[in-house]
Order: sequence, then C-alpha cells, then structure tokens
Amino acid sequence: MSSVLDEIVGILADVLGAEFLMDTQITADTSFSDDLALESIEFVKFSERLQEHYGERVNLVALIGGMDINSIVGITVGQVVGYVEAQLAASA
Amino acid sequence: MPDICANGSRFHVQWLGPKAGARVPTVVFVHGLVIDNLSSFYYTLAGPVVSAGARAVLYDLRGHGKSCRPLHGYTAQEGVTDLCALLDALNLTEPVYLVGNSYGGLIATRLAISAPERVAGLVLIEAICAGPRATAWIEDMVNTMTVGALSLEYEGTAGRYRDAGLRKIAKLATTADALLNGTSLIDDLATEQLLDAAELAALGCPVLGIYGAQSELLDGADDLRRHVRDCRVEVLDGMAHTVLRDASQEVRDIVMGWLPLVMTAGDAR
Repeated sequence: MSSVLDEIVGILADVLGAEFLMDTQITADTSFSDDLALESIEFVKFSERLQEHYGERVNLVALIGGMDINSIVGITVGQVVGYVEAQLAASA
Repeated sequence: MPDICANGSRFHVQWLGPKAGARVPTVVFVHGLVIDNLSSFYYTLAGPVVSAGARAVLYDLRGHGKSCRPLHGYTAQEGVTDLCALLDALNLTEPVYLVGNSYGGLIATRLAISAPERVAGLVLIEAICAGPRATAWIEDMVNTMTVGALSLEYEGTAGRYRDAGLRKIAKLATTADALLNGTSLIDDLATEQLLDAAELAALGCPVLGIYGAQSELLDGADDLRRHVRDCRVEVLDGMAHTVLRDASQEVRDIVMGWLPLVMTAGDAR
C-alpha cells in the first residue's frame, strides 16, 4: 500500500467517520460513489481536506474540471492517488 | 475555508481562486432546494470561473449540504438576508456576480433588486420569480414536498433504502427527512412572496437566463425578455428543469461565453 493511499484513507475516515470505514476495505479500485456511497457534498469536503493536507498543488477541482458528471461519479481512490502522486512528483 | 457564521447561523462555504483583497471579480453561486447543495456548482461552473481568473464562492443554503439546519428562516427573503450577511462576513464589499439555480435564482434576483449596489451581474438557471407560473411552481413544490415529507416520516424511506444496501440514497433520504420534517421549510415556502413585473423591470444589472425547452418554468424566459432591459436568454432543446445537471457542458459554454464579456464591460464602467 502506498503512503499516499494510507493518507487518503485517513482523510476519508475524517470525512466519512472511521466507524463507517471499519467494514470497508479500501483499495485503488474502490469507487467513491458505488463502493463508499460518498455523497457529492462529501466529495467536496474530501477535496477540501486533501488540499489542506497536500497544499494548493493538489486541486481536485482542476482534476474533475474536464470530466462529465458520469466520469466524476465513477472516480476511484486509485485515480486520486495517481493524481496526488503526480502532483507531488511534479513539485518535488 | 472554515465554516462561516452569518445571520445567526453557520454556513459551509467553499472559496476557490484568488484570496480576499486581490482585485478580481467574484462569482457567488446559489443552489436550489432540498436535495441540492453547493456541489452542483462545484462540479460544473466553479472550475471554469476560476480558470477565467475570477474567484468562485459557493455556499450551502441554511439547512442544506453541510450548513447548519436551524428550525426557521427558509423564505427567499431570509435567504437574501443570509447571503448579504455572508458577503459581509467574507468581506466581499465590491459588487459580485450571482449565479442562481432554480430557487437559488429567486434568492439571487431578490438580492439584485433589493441591493443593486451589491450585484454586478446575474445568471439565472431555470429560475422563475414572477407571475402565475411562478405561483403555480411554488404550489407544486409545496405539494410535492408535503407528500415527500409524509412518506419519509411514516414509511421509513431512509431505513428501507439502508436495509436494501442503497447507502447513498439512504443518506439523501435522511437529509431530506430532516429538512422537510424538522424545519419550517415547507411552511415558509407556502407563504413565499413572489415578485411582480415592475420589480423585475427594476433589475439594472446584466442578466443571463438559461432554460430547458421542455421546462415547466419556460415562462421565466419570456418574463426576462419582456421585462429586463439588459438580458440574454438561452433555451436548450430537449432539456427540462434540470439543465445544470443534464446539460452541464452546454450551460458551462453559455455562461463562460457571457460572463467574461460582462465582467470586462463592468471593469470599463
């Protein structure tokens, strides 16, 4: 498990509540909508917490800016991990 | 951004783009009722607005999304008071551009009329503010919400969804139940005071209206054409009331084709 995935699981626990995640194994293939039942407003809070954690360079609004609503709904944890890792590498 | 306290309540606010003090235009988004929240704009228009060099300010109306859910204060006029108090709390003293979807458009229009010095431009997406069609729309909403409230309370809708493993819909139902059965929203909506044609005609800022050709609120497009001096109206073929969700790309193109021009003209003034 990558450290970024660990951190993102921690942020998700903060947004959704650790209790909710206790019975959910989160992997790169976990979908925010289908698997985690993340409401759209919770995804906004997740995006905010992600930026607080990693700084301005991680901006999910930019990531989803070019997507249609179906693509946004289908986003997986792995896609966000990949995006965060790419942003961190670009600014290293 | 931390939550903001304004008009005696706590509001969830998302601030995207340049920080306060930077001299760039501000676009404030006002969403619709019950199952809507700021995320409908967050995923559609906020990003393009920021990319165009403006700042985007999104907030959840009282009782909605992640904002506090007080028992009372759900009329459009109270929504205007909330919005003014939020602008003050955020130190947004320059005129802002308001984008309102559905009922949010009624709040935005009311603010543009009652405090024209605070509003530089108005985008109304599927909003109707005056006339018999607006009255009928409010009545329809009251009736639909009343039936929904009864169903949520007595049929245990949220619990049934949860038992069926439909966690996301269960959460939505829980939120709707709390709002419809736990606040004065329906009663407040039933007493809503709508605008008249003369008030619409008093709108002095540029207005963009976007409507679905199949929408029950299409009369709102005619109202704008008839009564508002500086307006542009776009009607999307095959679309109904939910144009922001169902035609988000077209709405984005229309808004981003209009807003920067209006902002430039506003700067020139």
